Amino acid sequence: MVIENLQIAPLGDWLLGTGWQGGWLWSRWGVAVLLAVVLGLGFLAVAALRRRSGRPGPVLSTWTGAILGLFSLVVLAALVMCSTNVTRSLMHDYVAGPAFTRLVPVLGTNWTDGSLYTWLGVIVGLFFGVIYFCCWLAATLLSGPALGTMQCGRAVLEIFTDIARISPRRVFALAWLAARESIRRRVVVVFVVFVLVILFAALFMKKDSLHPAQLYITIVMNCTIFLTMLFALVLSALSLPADIRDRTLHTVVTKPVRKIEIVLGRVLGFTVVGTLLLAGIGAISYGFTVRSLRHSHVLTRDMLHLETLPGNGGYLWTGSTGEAHGHSHHVTIKVPKVTGDAKADLDAALVHPEELKYTVDAERDHSHELAIERKGDDVVFSLGPPQGELQARVPIYGKLSFTDKTGAPKDRGINVGDEWSYRSFIQGRSDARATWTFDGLRAEQFPEAQFPNGIPVEMTIEVFRTHKGNMEKGVPGTIWLGNPATGKRVLLYNFSAKKFATDTQMIPLHFSRPGRDGRIEQFDLFRDLVSDDGRLEISLQCLEYGQSYGMAQPDLYIRAADGSFEWNFVKAYAGIWLQMVLVLSLGVMFSTFVSGPVALLTTIFAVIAGLFSSYIVDLGGGNMIGGGPFEAAQRIMTQDNMISQMEPGFKTSTIKAMDEATAVVMRYLSAVLPEFNESSFGRHLAYGFDVGADLLGRCALRELCYVLPVLLLGFLCLKQKEMAQ
Amino acid sequence: MQTEIVIETRSLSKVYRDFWGRQKVRALKALDLEVRRGEVFGLLGPNGSGKTTTIKLLLGLLYPTSGQALVLGQDASEVAKNERIGYLPEESYLYRFLNAEETLDFYGRLFNIPRAKRRQKAADLIEMVGLTKARRRQLREYSKGMTRLIGLAQALINDPEVLFLDEPTSGLDPIHTHEMKVLIRDLQAQGKTILMCSHLLADVQDVCDRIAILHQGELKELGRVDSLLKVRDMTEIRTSSLSPEAQEEIRQVVARHQGTVHSIGNPTTTLEELFVKVIKESEAHPGRRARVEEVERV
Repeated sequence: MVIENLQIAPLGDWLLGTGWQGGWLWSRWGVAVLLAVVLGLGFLAVAALRRRSGRPGPVLSTWTGAILGLFSLVVLAALVMCSTNVTRSLMHDYVAGPAFTRLVPVLGTNWTDGSLYTWLGVIVGLFFGVIYFCCWLAATLLSGPALGTMQCGRAVLEIFTDIARISPRRVFALAWLAARESIRRRVVVVFVVFVLVILFAALFMKKDSLHPAQLYITIVMNCTIFLTMLFALVLSALSLPADIRDRTLHTVVTKPVRKIEIVLGRVLGFTVVGTLLLAGIGAISYGFTVRSLRHSHVLTRDMLHLETLPGNGGYLWTGSTGEAHGHSHHVTIKVPKVTGDAKADLDAALVHPEELKYTVDAERDHSHELAIERKGDDVVFSLGPPQGELQARVPIYGKLSFTDKTGAPKDRGINVGDEWSYRSFIQGRSDARATWTFDGLRAEQFPEAQFPNGIPVEMTIEVFRTHKGNMEKGVPGTIWLGNPATGKRVLLYNFSAKKFATDTQMIPLHFSRPGRDGRIEQFDLFRDLVSDDGRLEISLQCLEYGQSYGMAQPDLYIRAADGSFEWNFVKAYAGIWLQMVLVLSLGVMFSTFVSGPVALLTTIFAVIAGLFSSYIVDLGGGNMIGGGPFEAAQRIMTQDNMISQMEPGFKTSTIKAMDEATAVVMRYLSAVLPEFNESSFGRHLAYGFDVGADLLGRCALRELCYVLPVLLLGFLCLKQKEMAQ
Repeated sequence: MQTEIVIETRSLSKVYRDFWGRQKVRALKALDLEVRRGEVFGLLGPNGSGKTTTIKLLLGLLYPTSGQALVLGQDASEVAKNERIGYLPEESYLYRFLNAEETLDFYGRLFNIPRAKRRQKAADLIEMVGLTKARRRQLREYSKGMTRLIGLAQALINDPEVLFLDEPTSGLDPIHTHEMKVLIRDLQAQGKTILMCSHLLADVQDVCDRIAILHQGELKELGRVDSLLKVRDMTEIRTSSLSPEAQEEIRQVVARHQGTVHSIGNPTTTLEELFVKVIKESEAHPGRRARVEEVERV
């Protein structure tokens, strides 16, 4: 099981770089000054632009055009310098590096890692280095430098004027119209299709699956994503071109409506309808999943067998429940020994059934509550609804490091020959260890009342066997706890790992272990093993010779708490909502300058490119085995394998140069492509992990960062479009 | 009528180009027009003459290839001018899934009109165009004439100073045509300036103060309707109480036979005759302005 985005940096680190707390600008005073300046200047600018009537004057326009033109030249030069590795490093060493260093006291160390600055860089590069420069060049060629500069400056001022004069009432009116249009287009059909698909799928879904919750959640989430994206694509890409074709937009644009209001109104209207649609589908999905998984088992007294424990241990009534959803549970009820007659003792114990101790073994990712009551002479057992199946675990992750078989620290374990290098391995019966270092643990996080049995640690270990051994028994290993500050280590448990089985171990808050001198030593977890700055090491060792444990960083985590599954469900659907808004914005943007079907295809292409953005990043970074597209094509044609060296010569040099040029385009493309997978939380939901606030916040900000420029581009395209052409 | 110019085109030209930028058609060639406040101005011309292009350029629906189009002293591409204009498009391009009330409410919201005022205005306009009984019906159920009427109502929702009417009487029955013409005259009486184009020459003749005739993108005729329709090389004498004999000698002896001369002047032709004549002249001499009369100053 691999879930992307399980481990992410805190929102602030991601947004502003890991050392942002040290930057003056992000201190309390800095933020206050920043807000005052941004809001103050913004307010003044908006007020000035709203008050001004008529078109911007020629002097102001020329100055604006000239300043922006020079700025665009600088940005373009920077983009060209960044396009190759050599010039990029030159620029970093002599221009950007020293300048960036001077900003460290203001923005904090590592501020260049902050996504906000990357985004600002991309926006400036796109709008000034590419769009403005091309427009300026075209206007200069067509009208001459003076007139061209003035026209460009005037256009920019008019854009800001349009933005400043946005009227919420008009935007809402246009949104209302878009919503009405969506309803007219029978979006309710999407509901019907969803219900039909779900009902049809329900016929084939196996309730006796090993992981039924995962199966059901994955199917409803995939159906939701598919239908929502289809809805967003069709509605957004076809609506505006239909209005332009039917000329209904003529009566709108001849009113005091700004083109940006048309774009905003469309996206807002479709978003409202999409939100209602998604809420409806979400409610259906939740009801369907919960109802489909709900079951109980029959348990009668005849199914239980009596076992007498030695001494005064009492009796064990054990047995299996009846089968439901393709499985049954093993039940154990412990009855205290009072009279020596098992049945009489059971009857006596049933006077207070709530005091009886019982266990219902987990099966298919869930267990059940057992209720026992007496009805007359009869004892009635009833099992409640499944428990633990639909959950939202809130994990705390540690940083994984390794030591090799000699005990020397390593970045990774050994490779056992897997092509998939996600996990690395430690050898059995050696000093090889995998150590997770957890940070920021505080005793207040784990109150004894809430964690009476200790802190749960869940792990999913891959077992690589060089000999078969006892497959049923699993491979033995040990768990160690360590204090990274004092170096103190203590063996916690021995355990047995089965391949990919999720195992839960409890770390007691207080425990005792024999010390080296043989005396029993008392340990308080937070006093003795967690450092003052909240760090704790958990290490695993494999004990069986010839066998290995394989692990990746997310494979072991502290289960700090459990969130609400319902709330997690809402957050997973919020992820789909974010994707939907992005698709709607892209569809509306493309529909402002191409016809409906072309806009539809272009949006689909953008979505697909977004789904494969990581591949394009690899392609742009030159990290692909077998080279770029031209080298790969050459290898295919000559039936050459991917790792052999190409014969040096003109042909190879040409191919490499073409690939390098493609890589530059890909690199810039990858910087602006939306990452759709980022907001897919279906696997979190299916595998029972909470979608964290950091992750949700990051995705929301990321989508906003895409939606804003996309809307701006849509506005620019619509602004220059002749409605009656 | 006032002398303030509210609509003006200066050497306005429009060339339609294909995707590759190649010239497809030159729809308008250096058009110079002036429309004064309070007048009803008609644009005439056969299909493809450039009159709809002119209106679209004035509305900012098209951008000029060269020249200028000014409305209320502002460039036609200025959104702010739309606060003070109304537009009835050729085919009443309205959202057919809305009813009359919703339509007017929607367009009222685009003018930022407060809700109470918007509703009152919508009710008044619906009553004015006689669609009170059909105000809750979707526009898809409307006849063409009804759609024209609600189209006119939406053009008036902001009480505009300037009205652009594209074929205002097309699709209307005789009663509604008459009412539309009366309405145009009423609107003129309220001080509104109206620029209309139409194929129905009788309608233009009835309501327009001045007209311009376009052909192949060029201005062929411009002037007051009554002036343009005047046949200058003929004299008309209107008499009464004449015997048949006297009629034969009327030119020489009208005075001697004691007939009463009611009027002597130039007879007028119909606009249709003028229109056909101008177009035929234009086709016979392409590129030449047929005849531009002195515009009568008010």
